[in-house]
Amino acid sequence: MLADAISAERFRLLKDRGTLFWGVLFSPIAGLVMGVGGELFARGMMKGMPPIPVDLVGRMVKALAGGASPVVGLFVLILSTAVLAGDYRWETWRLLTPRNGRVNLLLAKLATVAGAVAVSLVLYALAAALGGLFSALTSGAPLVTYRGSAATDLLGTFAVSWLQLMILVALSAVVGVTTRSTMGALIVGLVLAALQSIVASQLHEPSLKALAIPAFSGDLLKTVILTPRSVVDTPAPWGLALAFLLAWLVGLSAAALALFQRQDLTRE
Amino acid sequence: MSFALEAEGLTKTYGAVRALDDLTLKIPAGGVFGVLGPNGAGKSTLFRIAMGLVRPTSGVARLSGSPAGHASSLRQVGAMIETPRYPPYLTARDTLKMLALQSGARDVDIDLWLDRVGLSGAADRKTSTYSVGMKQRLGLAAVFFTRPTLAILDEPTSGMDPAGIQEIRELIRRLAAEEGATIILASHQLDEVRRVCDRVAILAKGKLVAEGQVETLAGRKPALRLVASPVAQVLELLGDQGALDGPDAVLAQIERHEAPALIRALVNAGVDIHEARWREADLESAYLDILQAKEPASAR
Repeated sequence: MLADAISAERFRLLKDRGTLFWGVLFSPIAGLVMGVGGELFARGMMKGMPPIPVDLVGRMVKALAGGASPVVGLFVLILSTAVLAGDYRWETWRLLTPRNGRVNLLLAKLATVAGAVAVSLVLYALAAALGGLFSALTSGAPLVTYRGSAATDLLGTFAVSWLQLMILVALSAVVGVTTRSTMGALIVGLVLAALQSIVASQLHEPSLKALAIPAFSGDLLKTVILTPRSVVDTPAPWGLALAFLLAWLVGLSAAALALFQRQDLTRE
Repeated sequence: MSFALEAEGLTKTYGAVRALDDLTLKIPAGGVFGVLGPNGAGKSTLFRIAMGLVRPTSGVARLSGSPAGHASSLRQVGAMIETPRYPPYLTARDTLKMLALQSGARDVDIDLWLDRVGLSGAADRKTSTYSVGMKQRLGLAAVFFTRPTLAILDEPTSGMDPAGIQEIRELIRRLAAEEGATIILASHQLDEVRRVCDRVAILAKGKLVAEGQVETLAGRKPALRLVASPVAQVLELLGDQGALDGPDAVLAQIERHEAPALIRALVNAGVDIHEARWREADLESAYLDILQAKEPASAR
């Protein structure tokens, strides 16, 4: 059953401390360290000036909006390739495939990574808030209230970044199953993540071609979420952008499942 | 009669290589069944197809009547295919717990099984630090701890030292007796098969070349070993029934009642006979004879 496979995969991931650290905890820790470091540096540069007010929710929203950057993507890829392609590396499919269906096994891995990515994003946002709190406590900066709709902005940016990262995860599943290599899935995923990010940054009009690039669709959705309705002239095609992101996720996941379902495991 | 594993016209090709070539084999439920064959005979491919790791090019495989590889049939099966491998970051206890979760087995006593295979003292060590023998023992626990009705063991003593082989052999015998599961055992260790199995099948080049009870296969060709001189004269007299067995010995493939007449004839021909002894054909010689013949045939 799928629930059994998910329990087993979750148990495995919790025991794999290396992957947990690099794939789930490193981005939040690095975010916290860089936030505090940046704060100390900025304070050194602005001696004598009054402290800048700290918006904790704003910092979390900003962190979540940037949560699908290629740098964060690299660490998510470390997580996903370890979980999704690790059994080729360790030649352990022979241990698992006799105990559960292949679709269940791969779906369980995707579900486990999805949960871990969500946890990592939440921690990433909390690390940004902690950095802000550090700034407020050490500099005496006042805490200010977020000006937008906190719940909508937090949930919206979280959901879009999670979706963008999960597309990367699904891509690494396809490449991992095809190449049977963790390194192959990591490198291909990283190159494509960086490439789409560069291409998306060059595009401005939300054409169909542009919307087909997950990074562009993701940025458009985040802009729609974070921009107050009163300042929007023409409505952006957010529905189409969301549909493209979902299509990528479902399409790549289905491709990985179909490939794995038909794969000979003579050589794992 | 119910069958634990059935293969009908099973063929598997890898490019130009035919790992299995129209193999038809029925392994009855109950007891310990051995599958013998040289490297590349198709043993592991047969098991990988049975466990759903590999798809056949053509033909059908069934486990206990259900299509091989389906979740319904696999729930009743435990398998150790070639050298067992484990995620290196898991301990033995974690490995069994993970496999129990994967199988949906909630009521397994992991400590009991670690104890049964002699790994209690190393239960919390990562499997990456295990010796080959310890990995094989953990593999056996992983096969049997969910109490399957069929256990498939592919080369369970591969890469082990003689003491380890003896230990694993005893463990398999004990588990077969205590658990009552059908065990299918592939091995290069003919002595292991002779001691543990009730019936055997011999595969060569992906085909079934012999199948039957161990005693039947092992005892089907006794031979009279003659140490005599001149050897050439003995060979001449025996014709097709004689074969050299060392520099001064000949194996005579004759029936027991023919021995006195043969010895009389040799003495009358002036041959000096230093020794004449019946060599009971064992599984090894039967196995080698069958493989040398390379003609698919049934020994049932």
